[in-house]
Amino acid sequence: MKIDQGQFLQTFLQESAEHIASMETGLLGLRSTPSDVELLNSIFRSAHSIKGGAGFFGMISLVRLTHSLESLLDRLRSLEMQATDEVIDVLLRSVDVLRDLLDAEPNLALPAAALALEAHIKVLMHNEPDHAAAAPQLPQPVHAPPLEDAREIKLYRIEFRPHLELFSSGTNPIVLLRNLASMGTVSCCHLHTGDLPALVDLDPTQCYLHWTVELASACSEAELREVFEFVEHLADIGIHCGDTSHAAIAAPPPVQAAHPPQALAAPPPSFPPASTQRYTAAKKYATGGDSSSIRVSINKVDRLIDLVGELVIAHVMTAQMVEDFEPSCLPKLREAVAAMERNTRELHERVMAVRMLPVASLFQRYSRAVYDIAQATGKQIRLETSGDETEIDKSMLELLGDPLTHTVRNSADHGIETPDVRRAAGKPEEGVISLKAFHRAGKIVIEVSDDGAGIDTERVRRKAIERGLIGPDAQMSDEQLRNLIFEPGFSTREEISDLSGRGVGMDVVKRNVQQLNGTVTLASEKGRGSTLTIELPLTLAILEGLLVRVGDRTLVLPLLSVIETVPLRNDQIVRVAELGEVVVIRNQSIPLLRLSRFLGLAQGSTNTDRAADLAGNHRLAVIVEAGNRKIGLVVDELLGQQQVVVKSLERNLRKVDGLMGATILGDGCVAPIVDVTSMASMNLFALRAPSNVTQQAVSAAQSARDASATAKSIGGIPRELV
Amino acid sequence: MFLVSLLRRTGVLSYPVEGRGLRKVLIVDDSVSMRQMVSFTLRRGGYEVVEAEHGQDALNKLAVATVDLIITDLNMPVMDGITLIQNVRKQPAMRNKPILMLTTEGLGTKKDQGRAAGATGWIVKPFDPEKLLQTLAKVLP
Repeated sequence: MKIDQGQFLQTFLQESAEHIASMETGLLGLRSTPSDVELLNSIFRSAHSIKGGAGFFGMISLVRLTHSLESLLDRLRSLEMQATDEVIDVLLRSVDVLRDLLDAEPNLALPAAALALEAHIKVLMHNEPDHAAAAPQLPQPVHAPPLEDAREIKLYRIEFRPHLELFSSGTNPIVLLRNLASMGTVSCCHLHTGDLPALVDLDPTQCYLHWTVELASACSEAELREVFEFVEHLADIGIHCGDTSHAAIAAPPPVQAAHPPQALAAPPPSFPPASTQRYTAAKKYATGGDSSSIRVSINKVDRLIDLVGELVIAHVMTAQMVEDFEPSCLPKLREAVAAMERNTRELHERVMAVRMLPVASLFQRYSRAVYDIAQATGKQIRLETSGDETEIDKSMLELLGDPLTHTVRNSADHGIETPDVRRAAGKPEEGVISLKAFHRAGKIVIEVSDDGAGIDTERVRRKAIERGLIGPDAQMSDEQLRNLIFEPGFSTREEISDLSGRGVGMDVVKRNVQQLNGTVTLASEKGRGSTLTIELPLTLAILEGLLVRVGDRTLVLPLLSVIETVPLRNDQIVRVAELGEVVVIRNQSIPLLRLSRFLGLAQGSTNTDRAADLAGNHRLAVIVEAGNRKIGLVVDELLGQQQVVVKSLERNLRKVDGLMGATILGDGCVAPIVDVTSMASMNLFALRAPSNVTQQAVSAAQSARDASATAKSIGGIPRELV
Repeated sequence: MFLVSLLRRTGVLSYPVEGRGLRKVLIVDDSVSMRQMVSFTLRRGGYEVVEAEHGQDALNKLAVATVDLIITDLNMPVMDGITLIQNVRKQPAMRNKPILMLTTEGLGTKKDQGRAAGATGWIVKPFDPEKLLQTLAKVLP
């Protein structure tokens, strides 16, 4: 039978990765509670599952390593051995090797690292009888006995005397006899009924019968015995070999071909020679399709199906009412539509939730990173996590991985001091890094904080001057100085550390988070530690938007970045040479950006602009937070607030500076969504725009127009918007 | 003949009836990939397959459907294989159905516990697809 294993490989790889991650977490937890049997059990189960699957795919090195791991873990959980730091270290290293083995092509030879670990594990369990000998053997090509090789046919007499309790194991003696018969030709089968009690005493759940079978077979005695493998303890089996003959008896029945002789010991798994190539191909597929699949709990799916059901009912009801419509039905119809709306809204939320995964999977991987850094630097660091169950969009989770790794490593490597420094500073020797995830005001907040040295602003200043980021006499607040570390190419450490990356610094963190429409803020107190806060929208695909009108066009501003909206009177606008137009609100001057300019309306509607200016207070400024500063966007009217689905412009058109995408409004119009941060960096403030800015603005407007055209051609939307 | 019909009526002996459709196997394992592999092999081998994640899940499934054979892992969360076997053996409908344990070598005591609980036989992990089907043929009527 041929089995295409490729289709399971992806599941196996995915699952094994999870098992490895949970083993790792478990092992790290084991350091504080070395004899936690529950924990050991779960680690054991993970190793065990990996081994089971690996065997199926013929990944022999994996099977061997997990097998020795199992033996070690088995001794640990039976408390025959102590989970010392050394043992845990070996186990952790094994986990690394397992991960490598899963990533690598399957080698028949055990890689050196795995061999060394196997040896180490053996040393650890020095008194342990050699378990590895009992490990599954390397697969050897199974040579089917050549059929023309006339095997000796022997006559057997088999006594099969089941114990009374045979039936308790669910064994059917008839099946055994039939299997026996398939091994050769039965010349005689005798049923002994002598032990049958009188009917009154007969217990139908017990077996009173036994059999004698005479069989002519080419199989060996061991092979015949294998038929009774499962009932060895429930029956007495006697197999006697009679006289032999080469061709005295007719050739065994063809059914024998289906039963190639088996060795008594567990036979090594045999795999078609093509399996290696298939694995390679499947592996490529697996890595390619990695992020495109998502595992959703059944509960979530069930609830979705429920909701769809309700929606269908609501629809049928509405349709019925429309069919028999008379004016008196109107309130009922309204009610039905409202019910549909409720359902749709909930369906929407639930579908979004399908993409949500708990951050635990993300947090999990840092305990190892911190452990490694602590080991390498001789520091004592504890990683605390909270809010592990907070759910976050899957694509965000993936994009957050690197920035968080970087931040956590920074904290461990640069933040936390060595134990003697900490002691001298009157702090506990063990430093704490804490990872927190929680919801705040419709956003997801992820906080990485440490109780380390904090950021030395003096050093930051020196470095920034050295790097030419600021002038030698620049007057800057501590906060401004701290924010310099987000500048590209900034690294305060004199020597670049192996642990927390080379040169790529916090600017990457910031950029990645901004890509996710999030914000990064850094708080730090010298000697007390630092806290990096990442704020993210709940999901990427849906955005709470503020709809505004500019000229005859509608734009969407992400509500998350809107701080306030103020009416704009001409006398509030101050013109500053370098900054362009500025509005002063509560003694704070905020640069203004005319969205009409961005849209390229400036020339075309100068007259209306001027008219509005003359009229005085027709305009509004939406104050938004862009990066670390505030800017005011000048709009004509606020149209309202609504959730919009973000559609990619890049996919349909091209990347447009200042826009993060577009959305389709309820009436079918396409509205561009403003990317406040990138718009603020476009330098559209200057009064007399340099030619390239005008160019940019025009091209942006052109792009937006194109976007609308594209959307029209894609979605068949008949309205012109931009 | 009387004896045979008596045994049959009490459910001690169950004979295969021609044409009663595919035989149904319940596979109980907490590992999705293991379940998938076993299911796939069995479906190829002409069996109908029901899957359960752990012992309790298996009992829930058995409450609404009957199966001809159970293959169960021993190490599982919620309810382990041994407890499952003990529970299954208490059900009249399942008292005589074959139950196979999925075990690994080097776990002799587990195997004995399983046998004591009423398991019919075992399949050694990592398993070879053909060997799995052979083992099933070995215990299924």
